[in-house]
Amino acid sequence: MSDTMVEKQSFARYKTNNTIEEGDLVVTYLNRETMGMIRVRKGEYFNCKFGSYKHADMIGLEYGTKLGSNTGRGFLYLLHPTPELWTLVLPHRTQILYIADISFVMNFLNLKPGMSMIESGTGSGSFSHSIARTLAPTGHLYTFEYHQERVNAAKKEFEEHGLSDMVTLQCRDVCKDGFDMENKVDAIFLDLPAPWEAVASAKKAFKHNKIGKICTFSPCIEQISRTVTALSEQGFVDIQMFECLIRFNEIRVIPMWTIEEAMEKQRAVEKKRKRDKPQAASKKNGKRQERRTQEDTEEESSKDKVAKLESLVDDSNDSSAAATPMSTSGSEAEPSSATSTPVVAPEATMPSATTATTTTTAEAEPRERIDPKNVVVTRLPAEQRGHTSYLMFATFTPAFQQPSLREKKAAEAQS
Amino acid sequence: MAALGPSDTINAGENVFIKMPSDNVKCIVLKPGSTISLGKFGEFKADDIIGHAWGNTYEIYDKHKTRVYHSEEMNEIEETANNNREIVDDPSSQKLTLDDIKALKSEGLKGELTGEEIVNRLKDSHATFDKKTAYSQAKYLQKKGKKFLKIFTPIKPTAYSVNEYFYIKNPAKIRDIRMDTLSQVLSYSNVHSGAKLLVVDDTQGMIVAALAERMGGKGTILGLYDGDNARYDVVKYMNFSKEIQDTIKTLSWLRIHRPADEKTPDEMQDVTQLTGMDLEGYHRRLKAYNIVEESRKALFEADFDALIVASQYQPESILEKLLPYVRGSRPVIVYHSSKEALLETSTYMRKRPDLLAPQLTESWLRKSQVLPGRTHPEMSTWGTGGSLLTATKVIDQPVQAALTKKERLAMEKRNTEAKKLKRAREEAADSAASSPALADDAATVDAGATVTTTTTTTTTTTSSSATIISEETVDAERASKRVKQE
Repeated sequence: MSDTMVEKQSFARYKTNNTIEEGDLVVTYLNRETMGMIRVRKGEYFNCKFGSYKHADMIGLEYGTKLGSNTGRGFLYLLHPTPELWTLVLPHRTQILYIADISFVMNFLNLKPGMSMIESGTGSGSFSHSIARTLAPTGHLYTFEYHQERVNAAKKEFEEHGLSDMVTLQCRDVCKDGFDMENKVDAIFLDLPAPWEAVASAKKAFKHNKIGKICTFSPCIEQISRTVTALSEQGFVDIQMFECLIRFNEIRVIPMWTIEEAMEKQRAVEKKRKRDKPQAASKKNGKRQERRTQEDTEEESSKDKVAKLESLVDDSNDSSAAATPMSTSGSEAEPSSATSTPVVAPEATMPSATTATTTTTAEAEPRERIDPKNVVVTRLPAEQRGHTSYLMFATFTPAFQQPSLREKKAAEAQS
Repeated sequence: MAALGPSDTINAGENVFIKMPSDNVKCIVLKPGSTISLGKFGEFKADDIIGHAWGNTYEIYDKHKTRVYHSEEMNEIEETANNNREIVDDPSSQKLTLDDIKALKSEGLKGELTGEEIVNRLKDSHATFDKKTAYSQAKYLQKKGKKFLKIFTPIKPTAYSVNEYFYIKNPAKIRDIRMDTLSQVLSYSNVHSGAKLLVVDDTQGMIVAALAERMGGKGTILGLYDGDNARYDVVKYMNFSKEIQDTIKTLSWLRIHRPADEKTPDEMQDVTQLTGMDLEGYHRRLKAYNIVEESRKALFEADFDALIVASQYQPESILEKLLPYVRGSRPVIVYHSSKEALLETSTYMRKRPDLLAPQLTESWLRKSQVLPGRTHPEMSTWGTGGSLLTATKVIDQPVQAALTKKERLAMEKRNTEAKKLKRAREEAADSAASSPALADDAATVDAGATVTTTTTTTTTTTSSSATIISEETVDAERASKRVKQE
């Protein structure tokens, strides 16, 4: 890093000028599934299936800009890195925490600027980034990981993401060796296979004379059972447990025709069919009719049912729809009432560009195409996340008290 | 010892939530010298807890003396051979009469009996207690404890605890926003120390309070409000320092643009001629005027790091006006207590070329009882916690060099139309002397959306501009759609 660089890019804040400069990190967004992060270097290219993008083209652009590819076949969005985006693009070295759990835990632990906190293990650093952003600029995160390679990778990331001055990363097995910290932190987060082994040492790390909050994150209920016993033995109080999930809705706009509109369309189709091939249609239908008569009465009864239903529909819609009872049996008989009753369906009277206008008769021509009413609906995906982990919280109570107002007054009165 | 700051201790004059054995929470202002009554759980002196660190539970003894209470550790329940075969529903199994229990209660209030002693008496005089299963016994003691123990816990107001308090007590007040949904607003908004946020908050300030806590006194929250004042009642419960309080700025929707007939205090009066009361009045007006001017300035800098809307009004209409003030690559969040209210907004957002990947989410939260050997989800749970619609503001100005032919054509068309519009506006501006503030505002919106992303505070005025803009937006939408199809 050169000394001339005034502002070091950090995941804990936005760049003041919001402009992409040489050496900056950019989250490349092609679509929800295709995101990544690059460091912008003059002379380098970002390639994907839609084409190639010159890094040089990105320099000087504002974050959030839509950049077209050289081929003109695609584009990508250049986004400013944030902890939330990092969670979506980071290289997975372990299972990671996602936004639902991250958010809830941070809220419950009451994280805010200036606090100090322990996290163990660091894992892939998903949560670490969110914590660091929230404690910045004056707070501090102590994060522990027992896997040396993960430590190295996370260390590099914290440095590259401008967080290293507020994150202390240690390679340490806290279950075996403890945190070796005393009277230091306001909050503790344990994402360990055996959190109960770290509870006693965690207790020591809390600032002794202040309230502290601890959260353990365990996928299995058996882990919770053992941890709750350990927390209780160590004097933690107000033990609470939550599960939190985010449901992502799919939004669709679906067309919804009324049954009258559907009937009208059907009428139009039948009319057209009759007009186009009157002979063929009758022949075909005739054959079908023959075959049907040979079939059992079940078919007949179901047909009756349909007819009954239709009449129900017709009745419900005053007299207008009754004008043209629709036949599903495929009979070529002229809709009887079409000529006798000049009542017109209300939707047919509406002026519409799609209305077929082959004849100029007074009767409304049934429309083949009708613009439906569009309805916006949501749906939960058939498969979705059903469980992440159990979030168990407990409170550390201050070990000794400052004198109360009454005690102070009494002491003053004595002296 | 770690040094205790003012926010680490229970201070005089602050809001405190008092949690009682029944799990009910009471909100009080801690006045020095006062006695606080907790009804059947007794009363205590405020001075006894003022100055203490947060986090302890207190026991009331000897009428209204308090001491720190240590709850026993939770024990694993040892299974016994008992079962409920022998137990019949019989009110006479409790040998104490109602009057006996009343007498015990009043003794308790006088301080002659502790809560634990009362519970033990009840247990001892219960005919079939010993026959109960171990689990049932534990449950019985817990239930009686909730009635007779005289303990209380002062709870520090935080975004979480304040939200929990109102969500349980009066969810309508905060528009049903639950702690998990609120926490997601905080994450999606990427709120941090030094951020500058644009907020429309009709949750009585619940969201503003949570955001302000996360900024810790650095940065700006600009809240737009309608009516006489910003109704941020919830913020008052947070015991914010002045430093944090000062990060919250407000601006009335009607004051976004200075009304044509509004005069500055200096225009109204010549300060050199004023004395006494008049001079004081002038300074008061000047202060109020400067506050509004400062908020306007903050808005027109158009460099917000997030837009958060939790309004009773149609979200689209708000987005339409406020999106131009948000920077590129910044989150836009709309909260509503019902998902259905966000459906139209969601389709609207999908059509906007300057919003990326709108997403409609709901949160699900389940709480469990955790006791050794007795862990299970709670029998009653929460319904909705509200819905969130989130997206990222992007710059609807595809980089020229890389434009496709279609995009370039669409853009040229837009530019010529914008020029035409400008000319039409200039002509109209000559004829129309004044115009309503809303149309005025829409003009600014247009400038931000179509010309550049740099700050635009130009306030061209035509009452017809609002309708023209919507046509233009539709055009832009079509252009971007075409690109998407490719």
